[in-house]
Amino acid sequence: MNGAVIWTLVAMGLVVVTVRRRSMAVGFLTAQALVLVGVALHQATSGADVVAAVVLAARAIALAALFYTLVARTRESRPVRASVAPLARAGAAVTLALVLTWLVPTIGLASRNAERGVIALVAFGMVAVAVRRATLFQIMGVVLVENGLALAALELPGVSSLAIEIGVALDLTLVVLVAAVFHERIFAEFGSGDSAALRTLRD
Amino acid sequence: MTSRELLAVALLLAPALTAVLVALVPRGLVTRVALAGALVTGGLAFALAAVALGDPNGLVVGTWIVVDPAAGLLVGVIGLVGLASVLVSPAYLSSARSSLVPASRSEPLYFVLLYCFWAILLAVPLAGNLGAAWLLVEATTAASALLVGFSGKARALEAGWKYLILTSLGLGVALLGVVLLAAGVPGGGLGALSWHALTTYSAAESGALVAYLLLLAGLAAKIGFAPVHNWLPDAHAEAPPPVSALLSAALLPAVLVVVWRCERALAPVIGVRTAESALIAFGLVSLLVAVPFLWQAMAWKRLLAYSSLEHMGVLALGIGFATPLAIAGVVIHVVGHAIAKALGFYAATPLLAHDPRAGGHEVTGIGRTRPALGASMGLSLGALSGLPPSPLFVSEVLIVAGGFEAGRSWAAAGAAVLLSLGFLGLAHALLETTVGKAHRREAGRLPGLRGVGVLAAVSLVLLLVLAAAGFWLPDTALVDALRQGIS
Repeated sequence: MNGAVIWTLVAMGLVVVTVRRRSMAVGFLTAQALVLVGVALHQATSGADVVAAVVLAARAIALAALFYTLVARTRESRPVRASVAPLARAGAAVTLALVLTWLVPTIGLASRNAERGVIALVAFGMVAVAVRRATLFQIMGVVLVENGLALAALELPGVSSLAIEIGVALDLTLVVLVAAVFHERIFAEFGSGDSAALRTLRD
Repeated sequence: MTSRELLAVALLLAPALTAVLVALVPRGLVTRVALAGALVTGGLAFALAAVALGDPNGLVVGTWIVVDPAAGLLVGVIGLVGLASVLVSPAYLSSARSSLVPASRSEPLYFVLLYCFWAILLAVPLAGNLGAAWLLVEATTAASALLVGFSGKARALEAGWKYLILTSLGLGVALLGVVLLAAGVPGGGLGALSWHALTTYSAAESGALVAYLLLLAGLAAKIGFAPVHNWLPDAHAEAPPPVSALLSAALLPAVLVVVWRCERALAPVIGVRTAESALIAFGLVSLLVAVPFLWQAMAWKRLLAYSSLEHMGVLALGIGFATPLAIAGVVIHVVGHAIAKALGFYAATPLLAHDPRAGGHEVTGIGRTRPALGASMGLSLGALSGLPPSPLFVSEVLIVAGGFEAGRSWAAAGAAVLLSLGFLGLAHALLETTVGKAHRREAGRLPGLRGVGVLAAVSLVLLLVLAAAGFWLPDTALVDALRQGIS
């Protein structure tokens, strides 16, 4: 895969970590998934590869529709501010990505750029979950990690398994659907999708 | 297809079909269909467990399904806990005051989710390859998160949310490990992820080690190993009691079996000592984190949740020590923990009806105000603490002895000290819970108390039989087969 494409995917991931508006983050997350679909179709050498790309596209569109519906149904009366400022979030995300890249040796993907891109996206997803207070952003953090793993699957040398790829896409969609149910219930219960309200259970 | 494979397929179909039936039948028939489905599923699970454990060398190892002693053991445990959870669910539902959905849809939704969760759980130890195992573990999250938040209360939503996000993130990390392994196994495709094929990993050893550690760290979040256990006490405490039992007694060891299979498959590549050391480290850290909480006065279900953290640590140590003594200990510990822990959670339904404050505060003197309930809770806590003749006392002795036998003296000695401290904490809780100062003395019928009493009597017999089994188990073909794995 072209290095520019990989770093474009990484940049989109960083936007999800830093951007303020939920709808904008959904847009970048979806664009990232669609770029992955384009790469998958470009690299497809068999019918199974094409089917896997179509599944990835269906997942991206379904999740985008779900996220936009959630944004529309759960309008915040005032913005849910993250506990960490955007620049600090970006700094934390990049730092974690650099540390993980330094710690993890060569992992067998097609290029070192791809390996770095995968590690960066996984790191960005973790940081999004850790520092974004809005529940919708936390779900997007999980999807960001999965997009990183989709990139890893595309950059694997050898034949990949269609059954596993379809299963992963279905599983992720199922988890996001359940998370959407929780997001709506949390919004109804607390009047906001702010995970800061979810800190009563402590020992 | 062999008879074992047919039995395994029937076992997976039974709860799945029951879930469909429960969704379709009129409301008045939901409980009856659910109970009938539980008897069928439980019966099939016991049959498969008996076949797999009765002839431990007659393995079925396919691309999709594995039926070996480890699968047999877990299927038996999941079948037992699932059956009991369905049987006690009507009492929970009759006492539940709120749910995620309107009351008219509450009962069918609860049983549909419970059966989906049970079906997926039964499939986890039978999964024939790492990819399918990962998918199933991820699917358990989707099914069980809704059950954790089933009451719809703010605390349950918080617990369900934490569980969903933290375990999904952990499983994302584990999936990276799966992808890395797939890159290093010749051939590619689904076959490359079968337990057998993983032993042929041919890329750099460091790549296999990174993949193993990612898998272990990711799945640790689901097993509830410290330090990635944050969801565990909240989810166990806030879920409906029958679901808490399934989470603790069935889900955690089922995912541990996946880790065990990975460890067995990758040990030849990354080194046996290294693979085992990682598990021992998780085991010791889990014990270290759990023990201080066992000394605190806390709500009944939260106490049981921290005890789960301790017991998963013990199991990790047993698998890491890997000697015949330790593996025999693991077998007894998995079964004994499941019986005692499930009983403890089932007792929470009548307990919360007796004293609603028990959801957030420690309970004392239950044996004085409600002797039958106090006896059930005492039996559960006594067994979990490792009070002789509890099978968990036998298993912990075997595992620690196995650690010394394996030449892991420091780890075994550390585990012995931590287990002693944990015992003292739980023994104190046992005394306070049963014969401590009593606060409420209300008469009246408690939902589910009779069922819990019956289960306590059955549990007592099973626990004593299990403790006796500890004396002959280390020298059996079953332990040899478990140590050998499917490779």
